[in-house]
Amino acid sequence: MIERPVNDFEVAFWGVRGSVPAPGPEMNRYGGNTSCVELRVGGELVILDAGTGIIGLGKQLLAGEFGKGRGAARVFLSHAHWDHIQGFPFFAPIFIPGNQFVVYGPGRSPTLLENILEGQMNPHFSPLYTMKNLGAAIDVHGVEGEQAIHIGVGSQVKVTSCLNPHGATTALAYRFESGGRSLVYASDAGYGVDGPSPEARRLYANADVIIHDCTYSPEDRAARLKRGFASTEDAAKVAIEAGCKRLVMFHYDQDYADDVVDALAERTRRFLDDNGGKAIALEPAREGLRITL
Amino acid sequence: MKVQFWGVRGSFPVPGPDTNRYGGNTSCVEVRVSDDPAAPRIIIDAGTGLRKLGKEMMAERFGAGEGQAHLLVSHTHWDHIQGLPFFAPLYQKGNDLFVYAKQRDDTHLRAVFASQTDSHYFPVPFDEAQANVHLRELVEGAHFEIGPVKVSCTRLNHPWIAMAYRLDYEGKSVAYVTDTAPFRDILIEQEFIRQPPRPGDPLKPEDAEKLAQMRDGVVRLCEGVDIVIYDTQFTPEEYAQKPHWGHSCPEDAIEIAREAGARNVVLFHHAPERTDDQIDALTAYHQSRTPDLGLTSAAEGMILTAGVDLPKGGT
Repeated sequence: MIERPVNDFEVAFWGVRGSVPAPGPEMNRYGGNTSCVELRVGGELVILDAGTGIIGLGKQLLAGEFGKGRGAARVFLSHAHWDHIQGFPFFAPIFIPGNQFVVYGPGRSPTLLENILEGQMNPHFSPLYTMKNLGAAIDVHGVEGEQAIHIGVGSQVKVTSCLNPHGATTALAYRFESGGRSLVYASDAGYGVDGPSPEARRLYANADVIIHDCTYSPEDRAARLKRGFASTEDAAKVAIEAGCKRLVMFHYDQDYADDVVDALAERTRRFLDDNGGKAIALEPAREGLRITL
Repeated sequence: MKVQFWGVRGSFPVPGPDTNRYGGNTSCVEVRVSDDPAAPRIIIDAGTGLRKLGKEMMAERFGAGEGQAHLLVSHTHWDHIQGLPFFAPLYQKGNDLFVYAKQRDDTHLRAVFASQTDSHYFPVPFDEAQANVHLRELVEGAHFEIGPVKVSCTRLNHPWIAMAYRLDYEGKSVAYVTDTAPFRDILIEQEFIRQPPRPGDPLKPEDAEKLAQMRDGVVRLCEGVDIVIYDTQFTPEEYAQKPHWGHSCPEDAIEIAREAGARNVVLFHHAPERTDDQIDALTAYHQSRTPDLGLTSAAEGMILTAGVDLPKGGT
């Protein structure tokens, strides 16, 4: 049972893995579910990505308003690769009429994003056939680059985003800002040789918390550059340059067992210490981790 | 003839300490007829379990681009194909992969698999796979051969239709029957079923006839088989709530196995929410009621040999 956030800017991790769910006893401590992070902000429930981690969140949500068809949440998708959307068709609250979801994701138009989501539910792949068979109301918004979105009670939360390179495609990074506090979610970020773009640097600057892609060790990243993921060192450099207070490692390779992640976290701690990031708190995300800003 | 289980779950992969013993990967079963490394590798379904099998295969001929594998796909729902993009032999030039699945009315198989790895969803397109991929579209009731192995198939009662397979080799045999609802309460085909009938409600005569034919086909497929692997995702209580989801209970598997004179039945396609302890209890319960059959629940890593019977239940 993962303890859910109650107050503003509390975060819970439901899935921390990249590429494909990785069951097995060697993954028990960090967890094998793909990307899903829950954020409470502006009095609202925000869900970052819909990997298989969202299935467990959905089950818990049924105990509250979502079980009665009176729930509302906003889902922000970084991109539509499987490991970021594959939990959505199994997210129980979408089957209950009355629940309301606003889904944000990459796409110049809502139709484009909606078609991508429909693609995983068509009858070849899923017994749901189409999103139109889901009971809940789903409002899809395409997000493009730096436009700001205002959410939360009294629109007090400003959400900005930028597109990071991710192999042959791109993935959105998001920044949530309210009442002087800020959190960045940057999954699947395969920067070029010059590091993050100027837009990304602006998005990251002075954030309290940065949840950052840490798919690979520096060596594995060098060997798999074209896949478009960050190394733990890339993430540490981002955190140091941004001057953030806390860095959360996220989106581990499916083959990294618990002790591999332990070792990567220690190594990243040393890298931060040796490169001017001593003041930055570091946490490797695991299923069930809760953080408060 | 040996059967090895690489993924035993239905619906979606379930990592976590509650599934460590039976495993959390979705459906994937390997059938080996010979220890000769040059013998064809036969794999049934490509759920996430396929990823680890692929890694193991790369240590052998497939790593050198000299492997030949045959993948029988029951149907293309996610839990039966989501391991395919992570199947390492697919990316090694020189390997041959034959993929068998039911022919579709609306499009060709290549389009179905290609859309799985469309650039929105996956970084490597299906058409960039380095191995030679040969697609074989099957019609209901097809018979064919994979080297020395005879393969037959019959259709099942599942949304968008799934295929059951039987493999025969030198007098030994294995049948793989998933995903399917029982053949009595509802006919499940291409249409989306919004409101299921209540189990026991009368069927339209034409539906009843189709179901009877389908059931006969499955019983014939399993006739005298050494091992039948069967979709038992539901308990009877769960089935009563969701008859239109297209899954069976252990009771249904046992009924078919008995009627077909199968020797051993393997409960398979476990519900994602079923914990290891619950599967233990279900297995023990059904073993206690089947003195005439070998019975067990599939677990990742388990290897069975056709012709070597499981202990019979019931004491």
